[in-house]
Amino acid sequence: MMRNGSARLLLLLALLPAWTAAHAQGEPDWLVDTLYGSGKINTVITVVSVILLGIGLWLFRLDRRIARMEKRTK
Amino acid sequence: MRTLWWKIMALALVLAASITALRTPLAPAIVYASGGPFAPGGNSASVIGYRTHFMAAPVRVFLENGGQFVEASSTVVADDTHLTARFEVPVGLREDMSDLVVVAPGHGAMRLFAAFYNPEKGTGAVDGVTDAPQQGERAGFVFPNRNILYETIRNLNFHVPMWFTMMLLQTISFVFSIKVLGSGRWLDDRAAVQAVNASLLFAILGLITGSIWARATWSGWWTSDAKLNGAAVTVLIYLAYLVLRGSVTDLAKRARLAAIYNIFAYVLMLLFIMALPRMTASLHPGSGGNPAFSQYDLDDSLRPVFYAAVLGWMGIGTWIFNLQYRLARIENRHDEERLR
Amino acid sequence: MRSEVLQLLRLEVALDLRQRAAWGGMLLYVVSAMYVCHLAVSDSLSRSTWNAIFWIILLFAAFNALARSFQREDQGRQLYLYTMAHPRSVVLARALYGSITMLALSLLSLLFYLLFLGSDPMGDASMGPFVASVALGGVGFAAVLTLISAIAARAGNGIGLMAILGFPIVLPMLLAVMRASQLALDGSGWSGTGYYFLAIGALDVVTLTLAWLLFPYLWRD
Repeated sequence: MMRNGSARLLLLLALLPAWTAAHAQGEPDWLVDTLYGSGKINTVITVVSVILLGIGLWLFRLDRRIARMEKRTK
Repeated sequence: MRTLWWKIMALALVLAASITALRTPLAPAIVYASGGPFAPGGNSASVIGYRTHFMAAPVRVFLENGGQFVEASSTVVADDTHLTARFEVPVGLREDMSDLVVVAPGHGAMRLFAAFYNPEKGTGAVDGVTDAPQQGERAGFVFPNRNILYETIRNLNFHVPMWFTMMLLQTISFVFSIKVLGSGRWLDDRAAVQAVNASLLFAILGLITGSIWARATWSGWWTSDAKLNGAAVTVLIYLAYLVLRGSVTDLAKRARLAAIYNIFAYVLMLLFIMALPRMTASLHPGSGGNPAFSQYDLDDSLRPVFYAAVLGWMGIGTWIFNLQYRLARIENRHDEERLR
Repeated sequence: MRSEVLQLLRLEVALDLRQRAAWGGMLLYVVSAMYVCHLAVSDSLSRSTWNAIFWIILLFAAFNALARSFQREDQGRQLYLYTMAHPRSVVLARALYGSITMLALSLLSLLFYLLFLGSDPMGDASMGPFVASVALGGVGFAAVLTLISAIAARAGNGIGLMAILGFPIVLPMLLAVMRASQLALDGSGWSGTGYYFLAIGALDVVTLTLAWLLFPYLWRD
């Protein structure tokens, strides 16, 4: 349980820089902010983050399943 | 499947492709031009480039209209990415829209399609036109640069492999479903459903990344598009597959029904995806009359990176499927022992 | 094999004639759906909307009609049927009978549709391809949904599961017939719509082959 919680926290911490960077430009429109800014490089960043997040979430699910299995075999 | 080498290969391929996809510079390109409509006579235009170096080299600016070129009479370079050009537009240009072509050493010929409206059409200009400019070499290993894509062309190496991986996992599931009908082994059924689970992970990733990319280039989260419809149908089919499994309690019957539905659905889905591009319009490259990525990528710089990414992600997808399958097998063995 | 299919087909017809209320129910469903559309639509419809509403009604009618194909009989009679005849003959007979039903139902639906929602959008339609697309659409729905109906019936779950399983699978067929009928409404003849009829035919052949191949496994216990 503890391990799970700290992993989640780590993930949030890792995402923080990306989030703040996306909001740092001070444009009024959040879309310009997040997707259109500086040659649309932020779109690429978002896409890569989504993939990493998706794989991460899948890992959490697998982690839970394995933990359940461990508890049962004990 | 527990060998290590192909997993390392897959990781290495994804890593190499991702780094290349993020680090490779974009080709310099013209992304914006204001001015016009260009009636015959003196007209000026301000031009914005992306990743261009106007200051470093002599820049020549042209209009192209129906194969005829008009060179700018004067060009003022403000900085590396901004310049203004003045054209003496001749009478009688053929087409409604003129392209803007900027030629600079090391940049190649940069073209902005349909940049200016030409209000007075004729049958071809006689005076004031020049020959086609020399194309010039483009320096270094770069990605193509299009004015609505910009940096997002890099997404090609992240978004598209998701769909390839999904298709591979569904094919794996299809093969295991055929095996279920032949052998009736519960293990094959487990493999089929775990492959579907893994394929849905990649389908969801493909949908979300595609949606984000679409918002940034076509300014809509969802467009009516052949590829998107195909993706939607695929996801619906496999969700229905899971619903079907959920509604049958008898294990042997569930395995058989699910396998039959999977085979039926997979074949029809393949036909659908093959027939779709002829039936609906598409904004995607390579279909619905759009140029494929390779067509406007002169030096094929995208291709090797893209293939590496696809192969690598396919490996990762297979790995994910493999893990889920092995875990399911352990779970099942455990359940059986407890029942005994 | 062929005589067996014909015999089973005759059995289907006999069974259906005994339950005439079911046919009445199907027609009533179509008529009421179209009447609801007639009430809901006050302005004159554009061609594409007219086309779309027609196909949506027909699609739901097809789900209704084909769901009966395997769900109307109890387990005992099914078992009896499969000991007497080869399952492949059964599925071919059912698909054939479903196609005949849908052919009649779709053409009748077209008549009622013209009655309730007007024939203005058919002003410059080319009639041959349009009627052909309606007829082939009905047949195509029947071909695709027969196996789905069998799976849903076997899963012991009613029309709800059939809708979930059937919708994504019937989509290619729906798209092809909708395009064909839209093109026909816009006035293009056989040459313009030919590709779609070819696609519909290919889909029919593939789905029937798959049903023929897979159906025996459905009944092996």
